[in-house]
Amino acid sequence: MLLNVNGVVAEIPRAWQEESLLSVLREHLGLVGTKYGCGVGVCGACTVHVGGEARRSCLTPVAACAGAPVVTIEGLAGPGGALHPVQAAWLAEAVPQCGYCQAGQIMSTVALLRRNPAPDDAAIDAALAGNLCRCGTHQRIRRAVRRAAGERP
Amino acid sequence: MKRRTFLSAAAGLSVSFLAGCALPVIPRRPAPSAAGAHAWIRHHEGRYALYLPRVEMGQNIATAMKQVACAELGAAWDRVNVILPATSDIGPVRATVGSESVRDFAVPLAQACATLRDALAAGRTEGHIDARPYPLEALRAFRADAGAAAGPPALVQGEAIVRGEALYVADVRRPGMVFGRVLRAPASPELAARPLGYDAAAARAEPGFVALVRDPLLRQGRSEGVGIVARTPGALDRIESALAVRWHVDGGFTQATIDAALDLAPRLARGALAKTVRRGCIDRAARWDVDLAIDVPLAAHGAIEPRAAVAEFGSDGRLQLWVGSQDVFYQRDVMARRLGLENDRIVVTGCRVGGAFGGKTICTVELEAAVLARAAARPVKVQWTRAQEFRFGFHRPPSRHRLRARLEDGRLSQWWHAFSSSHILFTNAVVPPWLQHVTDLIGDDGVARGAALPYRAAAQRTEFDLVRLPVLTGPWRGLGAGPNALAIESAIDECARAANADAVAFRIAQIEEPRLARVLQCAAAAAGWGHKPAPAADRRVGRGVACGTYKGTSHAAVVADVEVDASGRLRVTRLVCAHDCGRVINPDQVRAQCEGNLVWGLGMVIADALPVASSRVAADSFADAPIPRIGDVPPMEILLVDAGDAPSGAGETAIVAAAGAIANAVRDATGHRPTRFPVAAGDLRTLPA
Repeated sequence: MLLNVNGVVAEIPRAWQEESLLSVLREHLGLVGTKYGCGVGVCGACTVHVGGEARRSCLTPVAACAGAPVVTIEGLAGPGGALHPVQAAWLAEAVPQCGYCQAGQIMSTVALLRRNPAPDDAAIDAALAGNLCRCGTHQRIRRAVRRAAGERP
Repeated sequence: MKRRTFLSAAAGLSVSFLAGCALPVIPRRPAPSAAGAHAWIRHHEGRYALYLPRVEMGQNIATAMKQVACAELGAAWDRVNVILPATSDIGPVRATVGSESVRDFAVPLAQACATLRDALAAGRTEGHIDARPYPLEALRAFRADAGAAAGPPALVQGEAIVRGEALYVADVRRPGMVFGRVLRAPASPELAARPLGYDAAAARAEPGFVALVRDPLLRQGRSEGVGIVARTPGALDRIESALAVRWHVDGGFTQATIDAALDLAPRLARGALAKTVRRGCIDRAARWDVDLAIDVPLAAHGAIEPRAAVAEFGSDGRLQLWVGSQDVFYQRDVMARRLGLENDRIVVTGCRVGGAFGGKTICTVELEAAVLARAAARPVKVQWTRAQEFRFGFHRPPSRHRLRARLEDGRLSQWWHAFSSSHILFTNAVVPPWLQHVTDLIGDDGVARGAALPYRAAAQRTEFDLVRLPVLTGPWRGLGAGPNALAIESAIDECARAANADAVAFRIAQIEEPRLARVLQCAAAAAGWGHKPAPAADRRVGRGVACGTYKGTSHAAVVADVEVDASGRLRVTRLVCAHDCGRVINPDQVRAQCEGNLVWGLGMVIADALPVASSRVAADSFADAPIPRIGDVPPMEILLVDAGDAPSGAGETAIVAAAGAIANAVRDATGHRPTRFPVAAGDLRTLPA
């Protein structure tokens, strides 16, 4: 099967076709920015976009993604590596502590802002309710989402 | 010609060792000093390499230490490259625990940097130089204006995090690497368990099967393990199912077993408890003005990164190990002892840790990876599943508290705090039962942490019993200080009520430590303590305060606002925290640590608890062991008090005030004193159920 990840089409060998999208991304393609946190879609650390929608890659069989382009945290930056506005906002607000959940937080935020370019706090909280953070970066995440929304063209 | 400049030992700085014993759980390590710091900073042709002597796990210590180095060296930010070292790069350093990094490591680093700076200025560019033990006043990194002009520096590894670059141990990929898992009986490792049988043929028939590994080293506690190795992570699940191990488990327990073991009533009926923090003489018979029981349950760390390790043996038998551990040298020492290797044949590289909170202090998954890699003769990655994290990790011990106080003229006169807890520093995840009898003679400073009353009272008795439980318990952010302070500050709040006194004024009148009184005044002023939140028609609102000192050197006070609706649903609506950890290196990241501790205090009140059933921690996912979500987290205001005292710790301090403030706000709003945590909506409901 063929898998389109971040605009690059990769051949997925038979030995990896029974795997989750998360495991293929991390261990076959080496795109390790997407994290394993719980394996049952509860923590959000493995969030990627499939066909433009935020998905939990730990619960998504790679075989189900053959027809849909996949975007991961590594695919957000623009040409020449310019940071996506959400990534830039995350740095401007110094959001990360341990950082392990942040790729998932960022991917959920990019999907949120695509649906709702000017979310209020309630919309932010609802969209990110499924992205857990144990370090306590929530207040900074909210600020970074608002900053990213303001910077959007 | 040697171009590198190493700084070597200076005389005159005392080197002390951890008091007590050489038990494996508290390894002997040199105290950090300028002498040990010689390998942390290196110069090469105008650039510097900072070999971070601490583990980076989200406290952003790499950023703070780089600030110290840049300020002391007079070097631009981009001239210093931070490296997370391997055990072969620097001398042994202590575990990254207890909020000690800035307090104990920043000064030696600054001394080494100052020595290097002066040597370079004098024209030396090679060889070894004795690092000078500059006094604190002479160091540029700790001046009030150090770095102030530059504003908050970019977080070290911050851009790599938002770009998703490889930083964490599970991100390590090696040529030919395969994936491992160690299967165990579905029971606490405190119970003896062994496999009765399994279907090896079915497992071997699964695509991706590499190896089935039986090795006595796969035992954790009293739980024998069966190792499986596969070509892909997903194949591990299929092989585990096909193998269908049948287990025998000796004995069993339930939550009732734990409740009975910790029950204070029979312990107090027998007389004094075994360990004493304050041994004042109190009158046990007379009536108490306040008598409160507080129960704090077993709780998970809940780091989003499950434990992981990658192990690889070279053809020469050398072991390379990548870890996400709070103690990289401890991992090396355990590998040497368990695998029978010399230290110099093992290189352990510490990766950025995806949250630890005290949980990544012992050796578990690391040994599993090494044993499987040796058996499979391939590099092996092991990452625990979330269910394994709950089942086989250790957790915050449950504790039971009984607090009694007597007042005289509106002041505390007698104080009696008795509590029971399982072990923390002498964790049963490492200490076998026979050795626990020895450690119990010593005590457990982790359990005792934060138990001493920070207020004046003529007679004070604080005592506790240590109880080895059938569930694994150990260090958790703040050790005993979080639960102990929650209990103490709940009782002090009741004392203020009994004295008909204002909760802030009551505390300030009796606080021993002026710096603690100052943060309390500061938080109260910032929160507008005198102007209580406006009442609302459809919900009860309340405000609470708490304060405390962590490890004798850092101080915090928190004011919490809450609202509770008729169904008992609790919402924390605002948290204000004043914090004094002495001289601050990076104000923004000290604030971030305060925010984290406030959210942990919030978690202690609304979420943290692990279910126990069927002889094990009965949580398989975050659904069974929730942590606060973004919608639970209120606006937080942090005020840093920096009066120039020596730098101390920020990583755990505010946890001593956050939970208590919220619990006291619940009491203010509802009239109900929370005594069992997390608080249940049913306890706060005004509607009929």
